[in-house]
Parts: sequence; C-alpha cells; structure tokens
Amino acid sequence: MNKIIFLLTAVIVAAIIFFVPPIKGLGELAKIIFFHVPTAWVAVVAFFSSAFFAAKFLRTKNFSFDELSARAAKLGFVFVLLSTVSGAIFSKLTWGAYWNWDPRQTTIFVLILIYGAYLTLRAAVTDEKVRAKVSAVYSLLSVLTVPFLVFVLPRMYFSLHPSPINSSGVEMDSEVVIVLIAAVIDATLIFVRLMRR
Amino acid sequence: MKLFGSRCDCVLAIVRKDFLLNLRRRATFAAMMMFALTATASLSLSTGGALLDEKFLAAILWVVIFFAAGAGLAGTFDDEAQAGTLPTLKLYGDAQAILFGKMSVAFLSLVALSTFILPIFLILFDVGVEKIFLLLATVLLGLIGLAAAGTLTAALTTSAAVKGGLFPILLFPVTLPIFLPAIRLTEISFTPAQVDSSLLVVILAFDAILILASSILYDYL
Repeated sequence: MNKIIFLLTAVIVAAIIFFVPPIKGLGELAKIIFFHVPTAWVAVVAFFSSAFFAAKFLRTKNFSFDELSARAAKLGFVFVLLSTVSGAIFSKLTWGAYWNWDPRQTTIFVLILIYGAYLTLRAAVTDEKVRAKVSAVYSLLSVLTVPFLVFVLPRMYFSLHPSPINSSGVEMDSEVVIVLIAAVIDATLIFVRLMRR
Repeated sequence: MKLFGSRCDCVLAIVRKDFLLNLRRRATFAAMMMFALTATASLSLSTGGALLDEKFLAAILWVVIFFAAGAGLAGTFDDEAQAGTLPTLKLYGDAQAILFGKMSVAFLSLVALSTFILPIFLILFDVGVEKIFLLLATVLLGLIGLAAAGTLTAALTTSAAVKGGLFPILLFPVTLPIFLPAIRLTEISFTPAQVDSSLLVVILAFDAILILASSILYDYL
C-alpha cells in the first residue's frame, strides 16, 4: 500500500506542476486547492470515523475501537489544521483576507474546536475506562452539529467560498477535476494507511 | 403510566434535593451571578457609554450568559462525585430521572441568571428593546439547549482533572447551533427589523435534538 500511495502522490504532484493549467481567474498560486480540498475532505472523513468507532466502542466496550476513535481524531486534527492554513492562504489570494468567517471557514473552525475539545478531554481524564466512555459520548454529541453546519449555517451567512458544483454542473476544467479527484483519493488512502499503523 | 409517574416523582425529588443543597450552600449560584455581573459591568465600563451596534450587543449578551452558565453548570455532578453517592442515587431513581432532574435544576438556575442579568445588561448598555417577546422567547429557548448540553457536559467532566477550563471548551462547539441563531434573533429584537421565525424553529429543533441525545448518551456514562 505504501508504494501505491507514494507513486500516486508523486504522479499527482507532477500533474499539478506540469499538467494542470492555471485556474481560471485565480492564477498559478491558487493551485493550493489541490492540497486544501483533499485535507478538508479527510478532516471530515476522520470526524465521522471517530464518531463511528466511538459508537462501536459504546456498543461493544472493546477498547480497540476507542483507540481507533482517538487515532482518527488525532489525524483529523492534523488534517483540519492543514486544511485551515491552506484555506486561509487561498482566501488571501482570492478574497484579499485570510479570514472573514465565511460559512465554510466557520465550519472548518468548529471542526478544529471539536477536535481540540475531544483531545483535551482525553488528556484531562486519567482513568482509561472513564476516558474511553466520556470521549466516545462527546464524539457522538459533537456529530449533532453537522446538520446545522451543512444545512443551516450557509443559509444564515453570505458565502464567498467558490462552489464548483452548481445547477449548471461542474464549473472547472476537466484536467482540474480529474487531478482534484485523484488528490482526494490519495489523501483518503494516506488517512486509511495512517489509521492501520 | 405508573412508571412515568414514578419517574416524574424521582425527577422532582432530585430537583428538590439540588434546590435545597443550592440554598444551603449558595457559593455556586452566587459565583454564577457575580460572574455575569462582573463581565457585564466590565464590558460596559470599558466601552464607556459608546454607541454600540445591535449585533455586537447581542453577541456580548450571549457571551456573558454562556460563560456565566459555564461557571454555574460545570459542577452539576460535583456533590455526588465527591461524596461517591452517584451509584446510590442511581439505585433510587434510574439514570434518566437523574439526568432530567439535573437538567431541570440547570434550566431553572439559568432562568434565574437571565432574570438577574438581562435587565442589568439592558440598563448598563442603554439598549432599547423593540420586540420584548421575541427577546424573552429567544433567551428561554437558548437556555433550554444550554441546560441540556451543559448537564451532559458536566457529567463528562466529573472525572476530569481540569474541570473549570474544560467545561466551556467542550460546551461551546455543541451549543453553537443555538448560539448563532440566538445572537441573530436577539439582534432583531433590538431593532425594528422583520422577525425571521425560521431561526426560532432552528433553536427549538436543536433543543429537542440535544435533549434526546443527552437522554440516549447519558445511559452510557
């Protein structure tokens, strides 16, 4: 699996540098989206994975699920930080400001807060059994914010965030779409590999 | 029906027990009130009577309520945890009765907090309320969600080494879906702008979700 991931990553990096044309109206620097979108995707996947393993732990009391839930949260925290920093750079390039509490920025920041709270809770509880229980419950409680972040928040605030898919279809060059999808798959594979560590 | 009745009796008994304990030892309640008063007074003093935007005022009000609630609710299960009586309490009433008893006490404490701080806030910041019923409904609905999430969060932090700082860290992300619409509605209540009733529905729906989730998840603690 390591070899496949390494090869895929190398091909994607080469494609971004040599094959993908500058993004319409945004230029060469905006290619940071090939890093930003996959890391944001993995941050969300890790969030749901953590909650899934938390639910499995509460049902079975098998501590290996607690370990998986914690590992997914730790990886998710790293990916969400990478996504936030790359998103802020993209925001500066396109909107002229690193941060303006756009709904998407709010969503990613709430994810940082949830991951941070979850990891702080784990650090604050010393008893292994209690730690596993309370962190699983918090993981599942925090999932409740997802419908709000996805469906309600974007209605409350105006968004500058580019929406590549709208009613008229995908608004990107086909090369960009292909490389972006490959980058998302690559990032997901990296996450799966790190989960199996 | 009988089961429901006996569970209601347990809930009421827990509310009565906590109410009497709070009356006997008023420190937690006093700390919550004084925190809200100090925060409001310091913000009003530091802005020096400047004309503040309604959105900013609404945000200040909810930040004060949130952190004062944190000061009051963090120790919801401390008495039982310190005395080691939570298992005994669970023998008397089931886990659900304890949760809803504690939640009711938390809600009543927050209502008392808001009754105390809201008039002071409006006077100190010289805020004209255009829609008083909207403001009251928003505060009440917001407090329901805070009480529900706060009670479960307090149960989670009972065994934690750093309770005080941890509580607001855990509570804020899960109450954000209440916090943001509540700030918007509070802002509308300060202005002649049209009421967006869908935001009230959002808070109400999330209150229901938080109560239901707390009820399901508390059984695992």
